[in-house]
Amino acid sequence: MYKYQSSKNSGAKSWVFQRISGLALVVLMIGHYILMHYHPDSGHTYDAVLGRMQFSWYRIIDLVFLTLGMYHGLNGIWGIFRDYNLKPWLKISVLTSLFILGIAFVAWGYNIIFSIPYLRNITLN
Amino acid sequence: MPEDTGKIRKFDQKEWIKENISYHKDSGSWAWIYHRISGLALIGYLFLHVYSLSTLTAGREAFETKMKAFTTPFFMALEWVLFIFVLFHSLNGIRIVLVDWADGARYHKMLYKVSWIAGIILFLVMGYIMFSHEILKLFGK
Repeated sequence: MYKYQSSKNSGAKSWVFQRISGLALVVLMIGHYILMHYHPDSGHTYDAVLGRMQFSWYRIIDLVFLTLGMYHGLNGIWGIFRDYNLKPWLKISVLTSLFILGIAFVAWGYNIIFSIPYLRNITLN
Repeated sequence: MPEDTGKIRKFDQKEWIKENISYHKDSGSWAWIYHRISGLALIGYLFLHVYSLSTLTAGREAFETKMKAFTTPFFMALEWVLFIFVLFHSLNGIRIVLVDWADGARYHKMLYKVSWIAGIILFLVMGYIMFSHEILKLFGK
């Protein structure tokens, strides 16, 4: 029935989501670049980061950005491996490593974002 | 290329390289190669990016000593160079989506040229955004 074991999953869903996440990332990435570089301080000082992180929307955008970026990137790497018709044990090892790598770095990133405090009495000017 | 015997051919590294180099490359092949290289560079950068921002958990001083290294002109130039990878991957990604979903196979070569032109313009625009502060300092107030 199936010529190759792995063809049970056609990959169509991941293909569609790779395009959708890619399009979202284009918008997020250009915004991120402008936001972080329109002034030399905006991306490189603690105050600027702290100020942005007072708005939960910035945190949410960063979390989404990180998750989508990691998914898109690791799925892309997996796509490269898929080109080389690996042996099943190697396939599983690569996939597991990519999963662990992705989850570890996303968790690390979340931890960084959540560790930034909300200030109680701030004056915005 | 050896004839197809119906069996799966054993992978031969040397032959693979020879085939790939001798393959006639149109714009699409180059786009594919650059897309892959830029994609790998970007995911590599994402890991570095999470790592380099990890000092945010250690408070202001730790973060700002680390960031000092990244505000040197050399690193600012590198960030601009990184934007080449971002741009190529973004614009070619849009091209791929158009090919897949908007009958782009009919005009993908034109799209490739357009994305190079748009890319060069956007690269210069981003250069101005990134260095406007320094440029204004150089020329008068």
